[in-house]
Amino acid sequence: MSPAARFDEIVHAPNRLQICAILSAVDSADFATVRDGLGVADSVLSKHIRILHEAGYIEVHKATCASRVRTSLSLTAAGRAAYDGHVAALRSIVGNAGFRGSSRGRGVPAG
Amino acid sequence: MPRLSIMASEEDWAGAPAEIAPEEAASAISAIGGRRSWLADRIIAPGWYHLSLGLLAGGAIAEAEMHSWVLFAWSVAAYTAGCSALMWVNQRRAGVTMKYFDACTRAVFAGHVLTLSTLIAVACWLEVDRGTRGAFLAAGVLAVPLALAFGRCTDNLLRARLLAGR
Repeated sequence: MSPAARFDEIVHAPNRLQICAILSAVDSADFATVRDGLGVADSVLSKHIRILHEAGYIEVHKATCASRVRTSLSLTAAGRAAYDGHVAALRSIVGNAGFRGSSRGRGVPAG
Repeated sequence: MPRLSIMASEEDWAGAPAEIAPEEAASAISAIGGRRSWLADRIIAPGWYHLSLGLLAGGAIAEAEMHSWVLFAWSVAAYTAGCSALMWVNQRRAGVTMKYFDACTRAVFAGHVLTLSTLIAVACWLEVDRGTRGAFLAAGVLAVPLALAFGRCTDNLLRARLLAGR
């Protein structure tokens, strides 16, 4: 069943959308993995994680392993629903405009 | 051209407009696809991973050629420890936890186990019943390319699943 389209301002910011895109495909991802995926500094990622965490969209887990703290992130059920709804809303906008092949770069209006 | 009005957020896509244009939505979807592709590349096991698994399995099977139960027990222990270590290293390398198995990848894994079991059974029959020397060695050598082939097949299925966003 496709999720209901619902635009979400919190998810829509580019970095946060990409954080959600990574986390939606996995159960959890290390902080370093998400940082590498976005190509941003730790501080930038931390800021976006805090916003998503305060919105109840992601969970932050910290585990100590060999005296090093490993931080892993995962989407909550609310976060997954918000992301799915947001993607559906984006697809709806693109679809309504008659875009084709929306998953391949910038679309071009069909007519 | 349809536009969806929203409140401007702090980092909107194209200079903080208060509306989302289709081009901007398409760009956002494209960015999602890009992250999915990056994630697939990261999660897919490197070439040495399947080769190492194949060498471990092949070595354990080929060792049966020695006809020593003690060596066989050690080889099984080495195989188990080696597989566990490889999986741990690969998981740390990728930096994610996820459900690797769905219906397709589970079927490929079952096919791999079944093929290896058949290979071992044939080697046992040839070596023990027919007295053919070198059957376990041959089975061990065959296990390596089989592990590579089944591993690549699993990787391709996993990549397709990640790119499809499932």
